Parts: sequence; C-alpha cells; structure tokens
Amino acid sequence: MLSLRELQADFLREIARTSGGENAGFAPRLAQVVEGRGKLEPEQRINIYAQMYHTRLLEVLREDFPRVAAVVGCERFIAVVRAYLARHPSTHPSLRHLGRHFAAFLATRPEIAPFPFLSDLARLEWARVEVFDAPDAEPLRLAHLQALSADEWPDLRLHLIPAFQVVHSNWPVQEIWAAEGTPDGTRRENTAVRVWRDGFAVYHARADATEQVALAAVRAGESFATVCAALASVVPAEEAASVMGSLLLRWIEDGLLRENKT
Amino acid sequence: MAFSVPYLGHGVGLRTQHFPRLWQGTARVDWFEAIAENFMVRGGRPLAALEKARETAPLVLHGVSLSLGSTDPLNLTYLDDLNALIRRCEPAWVSDHLCWGSVGGHYAHDLLPLPYTEEALVHVSERVRAVQEYLGRQILIENVSSYLTFSHSTVPEWEFLAAIAERADCGILLDVNNVYVSAANHGFAAEHYITGVPAGRVGQIHLAGHADMGTYLFDTHDGPVAAPVWDLYRLAVRRCGRVSTLVEWDDKIPEFDILRAEAERAGEIAAAELELPCAKSA
Repeated sequence: MLSLRELQADFLREIARTSGGENAGFAPRLAQVVEGRGKLEPEQRINIYAQMYHTRLLEVLREDFPRVAAVVGCERFIAVVRAYLARHPSTHPSLRHLGRHFAAFLATRPEIAPFPFLSDLARLEWARVEVFDAPDAEPLRLAHLQALSADEWPDLRLHLIPAFQVVHSNWPVQEIWAAEGTPDGTRRENTAVRVWRDGFAVYHARADATEQVALAAVRAGESFATVCAALASVVPAEEAASVMGSLLLRWIEDGLLRENKT
Repeated sequence: MAFSVPYLGHGVGLRTQHFPRLWQGTARVDWFEAIAENFMVRGGRPLAALEKARETAPLVLHGVSLSLGSTDPLNLTYLDDLNALIRRCEPAWVSDHLCWGSVGGHYAHDLLPLPYTEEALVHVSERVRAVQEYLGRQILIENVSSYLTFSHSTVPEWEFLAAIAERADCGILLDVNNVYVSAANHGFAAEHYITGVPAGRVGQIHLAGHADMGTYLFDTHDGPVAAPVWDLYRLAVRRCGRVSTLVEWDDKIPEFDILRAEAERAGEIAAAELELPCAKSA
C-alpha cells in the first residue's frame, strides 16, 4: 500500500510528466490505487487531472506573455511552455510567480532561434507583470519641487516609485511589443525601456541615451547636482540643467517619482 | 468544542471583471468572497479593489493554496502572507479546501483528492489544527469536486470531512455543486453527503455551475447553478438552517447584475425553505 507521501509524489509527478491522452502511460503503481468504477477507467480519471494541470499553467503563461505567445504561434508556445514547466515547475503557492524564469529559459531554447529577440520581449512582458502589483507610493507633486529654494536644489535627491523598472535589450523591444506578434524586419538596436505604473495602469516607453544616464544616476541615489554632472557627459555642459529640468517634468507627469517619506 | 460564524446572507466572489463596479459604488451585494492568493500582492489595483470591497460589504477570504492535505511541511511564508492579508482586510472568516495541491515543494495549483484513510485523517486533522493555531482563528474547510477516488479509502468522503471537522474543531464550507459533481462521477447519492455532514459545523455554502462532459461532470464554475444543484441546496438549507451562501462564477464571468441575481435566487430559495420573509440583497 502506498503511503500518503508516496501517493502524492507519484500523482504530481505523473500529471506533470504527461499532458494525458489515450496512451498517457501513467505509472501502474498509481493507476492501481485509483478506482475504475463507472464510465471511466483509472487512467482516464488521472488524465483529467493531467489535462487540468497543463491547461491551467499554459493559460497563466499565455496571459503573462501574450506577445511572446503571438510571435511564436500556438503550437510552438505550447511546446516551449511544456519544456519550461518540466524545468521550472511552480514552487510558489501563487500562480503570480509562475513566469519568473520564463525569459531566461527562452534564451536557452534552440527552437526559438528564428526569434532572437524573444527572451527580451519576455523580459519586457514580465516587467509589466511585476510593475502591475508592485508596492504603492505617494507620487511626487510638481508643487513640492516648486516650493524648494534655489540652494536646496543641488542636494535634492529624487526617488523613483517601486513600480518602476528598466529593461535593457539589444533589440527595439518596445516596437516588437507594439507589433503584437508580427514584428516587421527586426534589426539589432541597443534599447532601454522604462516600465512603470501610474495609478492602476502599466506603461512603458523607450528611454533615450540622455534619459538612461539621468535615470541611472537617480537610481544610484545621487544628488541633483551629481545627476546634472552625469548628464554633462552626454549633452553640452551648459544644457545639462535645462535637459534635466525637461526630464523632471516628464517624470512627474508620468508619475515616475515618489515623495520621500523616509 | 463548537463552531459558529456570523450569518452574512447571499454573496458573490470578488472578480477582476467587476472591479469597476466597486468604484462606481454599484457593486451592492450581501457580502464578497475574495480568493486570498489573488490579493497576496504588494500594491496596485488588486489591493485597492479589496479595500473598496471591504468598504462596500462584509468580506471573507477563501484560499486555494494552503494545501492542507499535503505531506510537505506547512508553508509558513504562505501563512505569514495570509496572516498579513487577514490583518489588512479583517475577513468575517477564512476558508480553504479539503485536498492537497503540492508535494516536494512543487505546486500543482489544483485541488487534488485525498485517500480517505486513517493515515490521511490523522495527518489532515493535525494540519488543520496547526493552521488554526498559527492564524489564531478557526477556519472552514471545503469539500472539493473530484474525478477519481482511491481504492484504499476506508470511509466515504462525507464521513472523512465530518471526522476532520470534529478532530480539528473547524468549520465546514459545504460546496453543494461539488457534492453533486462528485456524486455523479463516483456513483454515490448526493443526498447522503448532505445529510452526512454535521449541520452545526456548516458555516458557509458554495453554489456554482458545472458542465456535462458525457462520461463525467466537470466543475467549471462558468455558468448558472443547475436545477438538481438547487434541489440539493434546498435539502442543505432544510438541514443546516440559515447559512451564508455564495455563488462562484469564475469563468465566462457575466455582468455583475446577473451574478447578483443568482445570489438573490439562492436567498429566495433559502427563505422559501425556511419559511422566512424573503430578504433581497441590499
């Protein structure tokens, strides 16, 4: 007689190993302890659970990575998800985390070689998932900055909201995302995309080289003066302050900055 | 040992599709049931919706990943997250399922059936007791729909459920649709199940739709409650009295008003069985 532990280990291994079908070939040790009364044989009954397992997890990944799914097509997506689940079964009680290794996994898969940008596209989609339910924050208001005196500006430290990420790619990944599964003539191009949440809505936008430098300095906790100095490496020094001013206005409008409550 | 929870009336599941109604102030219903795992997040729209729902009506938390029957150690990180959510939204009660969903740290995200043996009885009652001690509150455990049974089970499911509830001193969330589905799939009389659970421990009833797949019934939660399930609900109400009832509708989710009408129908049926004046949802 199987112990409860052995039964559970056999059951989960078997439903995860096969998506079922007439010749699923479930382990005899498991099939022998399943009742076969009624209209269904033991293997058919186990198969219902196998199909539910794979269908449910496939749907979660299709929801989290809709662009990746559209680019590779239905059959290839199912195949790659099956391989992913075999390598990275869910280890968290919440399905929210199921796709956390998906982008890295795609980078290792030979069958997606025709789509060399796919792993980066997955990273963008995953960043959007993570930003969706990242911690809330009080957005920084323009009035707060307008109230600062001139001598307070050099030491000012700006703080990005928790629901903010930057995705770096060798591909124009935001254009591929926008193409919704039919990217046109993709060519390599170093790209940074900022991903954030404003209210409940998730957005992303390409950050140019200037904005990348400024964001990196802000994320490093640098003072406003140091951020401007960093900008002077990519724009004429005399324009750094006004460029930074423009960036600041855009970031506040987008809701990228938070009040510093600490 | 005793169990009691407040009577909340006839509620619906809190679903993403109906979040806008919360902000419009038109999601009026007796109470909401929220799937706990959907709100174990750090911010954003889900938590804001939970707060709104809490302002609108009483709230209950319903877990799907506690994995009470698993032979893995209890996931204390999960329990801590659940505790944090309980503190945040102060639910009227917390429930999960009489099943297992993980082993070896691997989660199936499904409600998998247990063998109804003495080994499982001892194991699950101890787990329910440990969870209740950790959370500092009694929980309700729900019967799941199933598509297979194990040949080494020694008692029917309703006896197993009753024994767990007594040994662990917990409540029962009686899912009438699950009883109907499992009865059809395994060839037992659904009425035996309803009359076999201890009425005094039934703190909540679930209703839902299912699908006939030809050779078995499938618990789809994607349509209205079927006529024979309403009949079974009548029996459950006659036996258990006034019990908070919730309509689950998780797929092909209809407009909020259709869902609320289904909950109101449950209220009307219960009132008729108990010969009470019919109280419509607010």
